[in-house]
Amino acid sequence: MQFRRAQTLDEALDVLGELGKDARILAGGTDVVIQYLHGEIAPETLVHIEGIGDLATVSLNHRTTLGPLVTHRALATDEALGTAHPALAASARTVGGWQTQAVGTIGGNICNASPAADTAPPLLVADAHVTLASRRGKRRLALTDFFIDRRQTVMDPDEMLTAIDLDPLPAGAGEAYLKLGRRGAMEVALVGMAVRIGFAADGTVDSARIALCSVAPTPRRVPEAEEALIGSRLNASVLDAAGEALRAAACPIDDARASASYRMRTLRGLLERAAIQCREAVTL
Amino acid sequence: MTVNGVGVAFSVNGVAHRLEVGPGETLLHTLRERLRLTGTKEGCVEGECGACTVLVDDKPVDSCIFITAALEGRRVRTVEGLSGDGALGPLQQAFIDYGSTQCGFCTPGFLMTLTALLEENPSPSPSEVRQALDGNICRCTGYRQIIEAVASGIENGGRP
Repeated sequence: MQFRRAQTLDEALDVLGELGKDARILAGGTDVVIQYLHGEIAPETLVHIEGIGDLATVSLNHRTTLGPLVTHRALATDEALGTAHPALAASARTVGGWQTQAVGTIGGNICNASPAADTAPPLLVADAHVTLASRRGKRRLALTDFFIDRRQTVMDPDEMLTAIDLDPLPAGAGEAYLKLGRRGAMEVALVGMAVRIGFAADGTVDSARIALCSVAPTPRRVPEAEEALIGSRLNASVLDAAGEALRAAACPIDDARASASYRMRTLRGLLERAAIQCREAVTL
Repeated sequence: MTVNGVGVAFSVNGVAHRLEVGPGETLLHTLRERLRLTGTKEGCVEGECGACTVLVDDKPVDSCIFITAALEGRRVRTVEGLSGDGALGPLQQAFIDYGSTQCGFCTPGFLMTLTALLEENPSPSPSEVRQALDGNICRCTGYRQIIEAVASGIENGGRP
């Protein structure tokens, strides 16, 4: 194996253009190094990109733009970012401990494409789009179209994630990220759910976005459940219908952490808790 | 397997080093096997337990999953850097005074994470201490004595 340091995006794209799938990008390394040490990946070259300062920037505007090197710690502690993206901040706080959050990046969390990626559901409910760059050019696509399967994305071997843009929380809306685990820290989500709900002046739901992780090969939005909430006041029968839509969209697995059936049975309750948090975050 | 050495320059506890390391070599290995700084412990080797915590540019990282070649120009601090002239640092002394260590294997990691916390926030609440320690596992003390050791410094009006 070789180790290459990229100081600029152009340098990184040159190496990727030259080596393609034989190269592996290294940022904080909290996933990549574990996979390397376990023999799950065996890249010919590690391309270290942490030194590319341009990729660690945050810009808050009508859309928020995050560089892929923004760390979980920055997402969890930056006040302005936390106000615009409370669910994203909440999700970042649940990724490992401080040691993981200090160096682990949002770009890594997305590109690793774990079914349990905690930042994915909050990004999905913020209509996140990703920009992929290569020496051939750039493309921008919705995060919903980015994940293909467990640990698989649409990224070509010569491409690199260079930006994530997303909608800040609008006025009159609340959002939440709930992570179900067996303990309060250092947990991989049994189920993760992000919900963003907008309310009209009379308290009825006028917009709703719901996304899940750890219940399917990829994190995903559930439009059928979102539609069930629109126009409602989040009463029990509406939550029942939306919960049913969530179960229809989920295909969890049995593993050492929880059974598929348990995960399915938590969805309705998590939705209710998240919806209450959204409502309580809003003053009408 | 061919090993392609990588040159890397960084400091450890204020001492500059220039080394040739393997491309996949971890900081934990470099510290223990090359620099003979064995205070930093190997626990899980997958970033779960925090026994190997050191500070890189003042932030706690799990050295067992941190690639040494990524350290170019950066500053590393280990538990060896907390004491000087044969005297323990105040946080180390508080750990002794409050019985915050039993088998001691996790202790260097706890000390490093708490050093980072106290530099960032000199008077953390007990819940802030617990949250900062999410990534450090101790199977002996039950954590209470560790949190008390940190609190003792706050009660004394500064660092432990």
